[in-house]
Amino acid sequence: MTAASSTAVRRGKFPTGHYLRIAGGVIACAFFLFPVFWMVLTSFKMPRDIFTTPPTLFFTPTIETYTSYIWHADVPRRMLNTVIVACGAGLLSIVAGSMAGYALARVKLRGAATIGALILLSRGVPPIALAVPMFLVARRLGIADQHITLILAYCTFLIPYVMWLMRSFFKSLPPELEESAMLDGCTRFGAFVRIIVPISMPGLLSTLIFSIILAWEELLFALVLTNRFATTIPVAIAGIAGDSVNGANWGALTAVGTLTVIPVVIFALLVQKWLIKGLADGATKG
Amino acid sequence: MTRTRAMSTDEAARPKTSRMWLGIKDFLSRWTFMTPAALLLLATLAYPILYTIQISFSELDLGSFTPSGFVGWDNYLTVLEDDRFWNALRVTGIYLVLALPLQMALGFGIAYLINAEWRWRGVVRALFIIPMVVAPVVAGGVWRMLLDPLWGVVNYLLGLIGAGPVDWLGDPVLAMVTLVLVDTWRWTPFVTLIATAALLALPQDVFEAAEIDGANWWIKFKSIAIPLLMPVIAATFIVRWLGAVKMFDIALATTNGGPGHATSVINLFIYEEAFRSLKFAESSAMAVIVLILTMALTAIFLRGAKKLEDMY
Repeated sequence: MTAASSTAVRRGKFPTGHYLRIAGGVIACAFFLFPVFWMVLTSFKMPRDIFTTPPTLFFTPTIETYTSYIWHADVPRRMLNTVIVACGAGLLSIVAGSMAGYALARVKLRGAATIGALILLSRGVPPIALAVPMFLVARRLGIADQHITLILAYCTFLIPYVMWLMRSFFKSLPPELEESAMLDGCTRFGAFVRIIVPISMPGLLSTLIFSIILAWEELLFALVLTNRFATTIPVAIAGIAGDSVNGANWGALTAVGTLTVIPVVIFALLVQKWLIKGLADGATKG
Repeated sequence: MTRTRAMSTDEAARPKTSRMWLGIKDFLSRWTFMTPAALLLLATLAYPILYTIQISFSELDLGSFTPSGFVGWDNYLTVLEDDRFWNALRVTGIYLVLALPLQMALGFGIAYLINAEWRWRGVVRALFIIPMVVAPVVAGGVWRMLLDPLWGVVNYLLGLIGAGPVDWLGDPVLAMVTLVLVDTWRWTPFVTLIATAALLALPQDVFEAAEIDGANWWIKFKSIAIPLLMPVIAATFIVRWLGAVKMFDIALATTNGGPGHATSVINLFIYEEAFRSLKFAESSAMAVIVLILTMALTAIFLRGAKKLEDMY
């Protein structure tokens, strides 16, 4: 309960403005949720229910789009690819990124400030500036269209992201924690693994989940670096959405879209508290 | 770890130089933490950037996909004479100028609304996470469906109040509006979630004191809320800016740059030039120009944010 509203409660009245605020918040929420709601709704419609005027809210739901389209577009394999790549990139980045973030926060490094500034700047590197050489090098090394290529490509934006978030997280911990462990004979690395990592679990976990989400929905690198074997779901969706030959296959679009969104939404809602805190800290703590 | 252990054996073998070894050991133990990230970023970030620069000064042999022959500034001159490149930069500029302030204002405004104390506040706030994790390419595709001139639900609703149907994606100006709309839909919740936390952290007693002193809402907003929120506003803007300059997937899925080149944002344009027209050398030159522009603007914004924070 905020101080402002508790004042209102103490005074025993809620001004009209308060109800207007609530109404406004609910309307905004409805606006932001409507497209997602409509997507899920459309995915359970038969084509004849999709292409009608006026658009229908009530219809006989069917899972035909799911059953017919999923096998046709190779959705399960692309989904598996997406899971492998997103989790691989997320795990690799959280390990490398949190260690580096710890170094920036705690270990006295010459040039740490420069490195910090470089990381922040590197978050502004447009991926397209990396896509061309990555494509050429991957072709030459024969690792085009493989999971590992995509995982490495995703590290370019995930590692700086994790470093930045975890740096501010580690800075907020009391330094006595690992100092006492090191006095007891732990190496710095031992102290990091045994003391810092366990107490940072909430931060690490929410950063990991957000990293996985970022990799899950990435499109540019996936388009450039895969073509058949390692293709991810966003590439499939871009293909459906941009299919000008067969016209808009809204059933397929919404069904695959729903399948893509559901796991991420569940994940995000499970860790919503940490997620919001992570977002806020990541944005504000330098 | 292994390296550290190897060091200590050496140290035991040569006690005289132990001080030096301690120094090296210390150095290594400091840098072990940086090593994995540094190696990965050198290989996947620094090297490709250098390679892009090399390609931008070369001809690219499409047979072997290797750069060959130094051509000086030729690629850059070709690009700078290309109207479509300037158009893409202009389109990106328009998008950024429209979308960023809109998302910031809406984000903080909505955060104020949903922070009102009531039973379902937590639920409403959690629901705002949902649009934020919808893959941009899904968002683009679904909005395209909603805005369809014939079957789309938005035009149907507009018809109910006697407006439309509007050909959202067919008109150059409206297509830009659509792009900004979809991007705003996708990213405002992100700003909102950061802003809700910031608003809750505002010290309420200051506002109450101001109220007792007879300050109206505008004075409270302008002289208390804005200055106190300035660091968060600046930081959120930076994060949003870093995301928005990379705008690619929403544009690809919503308008695909069209109609014509009306919404061909720079990343989409370079992508098309490189991977559809196979003009790798020219697109590398464009990528280098964009990289420099982005870096310069990011540095300016970072400085500005720092100044704003110091000011307040």
